[in-house]
Amino acid sequence: MVPPAFGRVYERGAVGKIFESVYIAWIGTLIGAILSLPLAFLAANNVSPRWIRTPVRQFFNAIRAVPELILAVIFIPITGLGPWAGALAIGIHSIGTLGKWATESIEGIDSGPIEAVKATGGQWVNRMRWAVIPQVMSTITSYWLFRFEINVRASAVLGMIGAGGVGSELVSHLVFRDFPAASAVLILTVVVVMTIDTVSANVRRRIIVGSVGDRDSSRWSEAWTDLTGLRRKTSPAP
Amino acid sequence: MTASASARPARPQVRVRTFGITLALVAFTVFAARKVGFSPSTFWEVWTNPLWEKFWPIPWGWVFDGDNVIQPLIETLQIAVLSTIIGCSLALPISFAMSPLTTPNRPTYLVSRAVMNVVRAVPDLFWAKLLVTALGIGAFAGAWALSVFSTAVMVKLFSETIDNANPGPLEAARAAGGRHAPVVRTGVLPDVFPAYVSYALYVLELNVRASVVLGLVGAGGIGRVLEAQRQFFKFDRILGILVLIFVVVWVVDHLSVALRKRLV
Repeated sequence: MVPPAFGRVYERGAVGKIFESVYIAWIGTLIGAILSLPLAFLAANNVSPRWIRTPVRQFFNAIRAVPELILAVIFIPITGLGPWAGALAIGIHSIGTLGKWATESIEGIDSGPIEAVKATGGQWVNRMRWAVIPQVMSTITSYWLFRFEINVRASAVLGMIGAGGVGSELVSHLVFRDFPAASAVLILTVVVVMTIDTVSANVRRRIIVGSVGDRDSSRWSEAWTDLTGLRRKTSPAP
Repeated sequence: MTASASARPARPQVRVRTFGITLALVAFTVFAARKVGFSPSTFWEVWTNPLWEKFWPIPWGWVFDGDNVIQPLIETLQIAVLSTIIGCSLALPISFAMSPLTTPNRPTYLVSRAVMNVVRAVPDLFWAKLLVTALGIGAFAGAWALSVFSTAVMVKLFSETIDNANPGPLEAARAAGGRHAPVVRTGVLPDVFPAYVSYALYVLELNVRASVVLGLVGAGGIGRVLEAQRQFFKFDRILGILVLIFVVVWVVDHLSVALRKRLV
């Protein structure tokens, strides 16, 4: 495995493959987000009647029980080998978790604004738009980002069965017992995954907490601590 | 006059930076969609593809015929249970080393944290593929891979719980002159143990799902059958196996959720 053959791997276009994994994860997350958001409103017990929400919830549970790779196994013969099968598999699988999380955050809202909109004569759609969405959208956006982090790992794996992305590189190097190249691919993947995790965790913290507190330094030093376990020397607060 | 004009609040302005970020995200999305091969028409074609008919009807006779599916499915569950036990046992001491509250000394803390962060960044099937190459094809490599991965997940969840544990009993035990290990065992472990068991059940759920797909890279279990049938284009058999997997995962999930509800 040592030393990793970065030069050879780069010439074969492994960096492009890693970015392909990121694109797959991004498109998959978007498909999941767009399809799950309306369903989440139908599944929440404070804004939806029982006869609609029970089947929608069962639908979420059913989707969550099928792993992405299994979905990719189904989709590959339909779409052909390539990144589109991976994006579709990730998108469909994401509906389950994203829908569940969004439903839970809708159920946790304050009911006052809903009653206020109702009192002014708003229909169901108006209540959702003006009373529910302003309360939940920041949380739901941060869930989308969190799911994107998970999906980056998932899409790296999907390449192993031919659904596009970096997995195929790793498999082909390991099959030919080319361990230096395999370790280079592995290291590149780990670096990209950890970078995306760190950036996304910071954006999420910012969405939820806001940019209060002293500027960037505290957030970045926290991220740095998360990543490495090392604690930077922070200047004392004035 | 001015009073009625000022009664209406000012419409919030869209900031230039917000606009810029939105534009950049949209551009990235369009670019990524083109790279991936997504377009509304391809999205529609997926659901109208005539190949879907190949998935029907399910050959139940083949699915339930002895060794075809049932035996590998049991192997899958064995991998999941074994690797949960190994992973969670390994995670217990590492988690204590990884929390600033209970770590024995600073180097242990830093090293365990850095190593576990890297281990967690490698996806589970990458571990499986690496270990299949190292140890040979079969369930042994799969169990190893899942053990490593569940250690990493468990350590992350559990060390954060330890961070938030009540430090009072710990200080009391230290003040009474206890050595490190007994202090942690009597001061912190009783506080966090229910959380530990509940996370272990959650890791078991994850492992059941992960062990299903291990076979796709040659690491044993039901995935091996899936891979074989996939290569012979037996889509109806694949759907039959999927239904069985679905039932097993569903049952394990519900058992685990019910148990966790009673624990916490």
